[in-house]
Amino acid sequence: MILKDIKRGDTVLEARGITKRFPGVVANDHIDFGIKAGEIHAILGENGAGKTTLMKILFGLVQPDEGEIYVHGEKVNFRSPLDAIHFGIGMVHQNRKLIPAHTVIENIILGHPKSGNILNLKRTGEEITELCDKYGFNIDLKAKVWQLSEGEKQVVEILKALYRGAKILILDEPTSALAPPETKKLLASIKIMTGDELAIIPFITHKLPIVLTVSERVTVLRRGKVTARLKTADATESNLAKEMVGREVIFRLERVEVGKGKPILQVENLSALNDKRVLALKGVSFSVHEGEIFGIAGVSGNGQQVLAEVLAGLRKAVGGKVLTDGINITHYTSLERWQKGIGYIPSERIDVGSIGDFSLVDNVFMNYYFDDEFSKWGIIDSKKIRKLTKEIISEYAVAAPSSDITAKSLSGGNLQKLILARVLSRKPRLIIANLPTQGLDVGATEFVQNKLMEAKKERAGILLISEDLDEILSLSDRVAPIYEGEFMGILPGEQATRENVGAMMAGLK
Amino acid sequence: MMWEFFARSLNASTIFTFAALSELIGQRSGVLNVGIEGVMLFGATLGFIVAQSTGSYLLGFLAAIVIGGVIGLLHGFFSITLGGNQVVNGMGIWILGFGLTAYIGYPYTGPLGMKRIPDIMGLSPFFFVGIALIIITWLVLSKTSLGLRIRSVGENPSVAEVSGINVTKTRYLSVITSGMLMGFAGAIYSLDYNPVWNYNFIMGWGFIALALVFFSMWNPLILLGGSMLFGTLWQLSLNPELVLPGVLSRYIWRTVPFVITIGVLMLMSTKWFSTKWGAAKPEALGQPYEKE
Repeated sequence: MILKDIKRGDTVLEARGITKRFPGVVANDHIDFGIKAGEIHAILGENGAGKTTLMKILFGLVQPDEGEIYVHGEKVNFRSPLDAIHFGIGMVHQNRKLIPAHTVIENIILGHPKSGNILNLKRTGEEITELCDKYGFNIDLKAKVWQLSEGEKQVVEILKALYRGAKILILDEPTSALAPPETKKLLASIKIMTGDELAIIPFITHKLPIVLTVSERVTVLRRGKVTARLKTADATESNLAKEMVGREVIFRLERVEVGKGKPILQVENLSALNDKRVLALKGVSFSVHEGEIFGIAGVSGNGQQVLAEVLAGLRKAVGGKVLTDGINITHYTSLERWQKGIGYIPSERIDVGSIGDFSLVDNVFMNYYFDDEFSKWGIIDSKKIRKLTKEIISEYAVAAPSSDITAKSLSGGNLQKLILARVLSRKPRLIIANLPTQGLDVGATEFVQNKLMEAKKERAGILLISEDLDEILSLSDRVAPIYEGEFMGILPGEQATRENVGAMMAGLK
Repeated sequence: MMWEFFARSLNASTIFTFAALSELIGQRSGVLNVGIEGVMLFGATLGFIVAQSTGSYLLGFLAAIVIGGVIGLLHGFFSITLGGNQVVNGMGIWILGFGLTAYIGYPYTGPLGMKRIPDIMGLSPFFFVGIALIIITWLVLSKTSLGLRIRSVGENPSVAEVSGINVTKTRYLSVITSGMLMGFAGAIYSLDYNPVWNYNFIMGWGFIALALVFFSMWNPLILLGGSMLFGTLWQLSLNPELVLPGVLSRYIWRTVPFVITIGVLMLMSTKWFSTKWGAAKPEALGQPYEKE
């Protein structure tokens, strides 16, 4: 059924009393939600608030225990996503559901019932171009998806849903993978494409400003319940956060001046290759001092990951020097760096930061096994390491039933707390924090940022790499925007603004 | 003399073409079958026995196709339905084929003793069928909805599933078709190319075909070129004095295809290769798919 004759203001989707229980939790507790044509209605909530469940129910991936869904006034019962698609609901997934090796057009028509036995790429191409013109998108249909930027991939997903006749679009964390300029572009086109007949439901965990700029109404979820329904005009960033978290959240951490000490880390003209053997870091020089947070702002893939890995000893430098306390450590191994007091918080929590199948105790031990205190003559002092793990879990409020569960069973936020705690408990003199709050909800983000601030007060030097401009600006004493492997400049914190750092991240000096 | 050598080479390449193409079809859907040698042995032996006992080439080829399809189904059951390790399962198929066909075929040792399948200027009719099949496969994979579905489940089955494609069905279809072609390739060897039953008479051609798929970067058209190269090398190893008289011993020539196979397989497994040519390899190759 394709929805025809939709007028602006018609209620197109309504959910009444949606309830879903899983063993031990009520994921959705009598949720009511409605959206009109031509409207953007955001659903806001922390991880675990029941957003994902609600989204899956609306898209037919999960069936509710109680409650009813109405599409255009008609009661529907979705047994699978195909039913939802049939009723004009489209989903744009957060982790892209696209095949990188295929072209844009192949991705869009994949599984489309209209595509027939023999593909008529010319005709479908024309139809898709028509859609692009109508909604103001511009994309090369013959390009392979792996060649596209994250923003363009998102457009492909949206086109795929629209091509299937979607009139109600569910966007799962629409901007989480995008750089600031791309976010701006996407939001502008969402605003335009909504027009009179589409209804758009973005589901958002963080990045509250996005909610405020695009949506007309907001529904906030907490622990499976609706805690607020607001017109965006009446909402502010802080009251939304309060509804989400259930308490006041301080957005701008006060930057504490602790007085810059002597330099701990000096990097001179450092270059390195990425996995594709291309020069991705092109001669950067900087220093990090005691009691300083040095922020590197950049869109993913501009060499910051390579820089972090070189500094952590996980990747070889092809040129330049790294010094700590005047000693050249460029060729030190990762272990020697830990022993010199350099702590690394990797961006890949599950692959590099922890071993998913190991217990929390074993994961903590991986940063301590080389200390005589914890292993004598190669024999592990398990009592000590167990005690340390327990302390870490309670001090950092890691939500874990026991210290023997596997690391992969923790949520992203709790695992990050554990990794952070493991590094910070060594009292490192230099901390390399690579995307420390990526993908975390408001509460966990605040926690991690506070801990980094505390470390700074204890006169550690911190190299903070982040794609979140607000985080960089509020925490850093100095900011270096990185673009294509080079620093576009190094700005003192007070001179760094959204505008100039954003422009430098995009390659403008 | 020269043409005869050339025709012989192309006839050998025909078997590589069928075998490698069958493996390619399975792999594009994400299922790796390293037991291709075993499936070919089954097809060759059963085809040989049926043709000899009934006196009908047609029945011989049919038997080979059927047994190939059955083993394909078996491989599909273990690697798709049960989600087992495809390499281990494929190795099992090879060992089973190797052992069982040696046992079953032993009493039939010797020539087929039937009138040869007529050739066209020294070329086997299957050579032309092979070329047609290559073109058909290429067309199906790149120009049809079915081909897009097969490629999609080989690249990313969960994306395919979300788009409304039945991953299990598509993979079974590919694996069974692939098995049928493998059996057929074996029968071409034992009924047409060299109609004599002998212990382990496929001699590793299945493994060469497996390497050829990687060598071709999963492209049927390159695969045709690759199988012609290997066919010629093979023929050269049988009569090197024909083309290059006095250059190296025939035993060294005979190792050449295998040395190249080992080289190709080793090269393919390097990091360098996967980053440089990564886009050509089906992303989900060898990975079982489990619904969320």
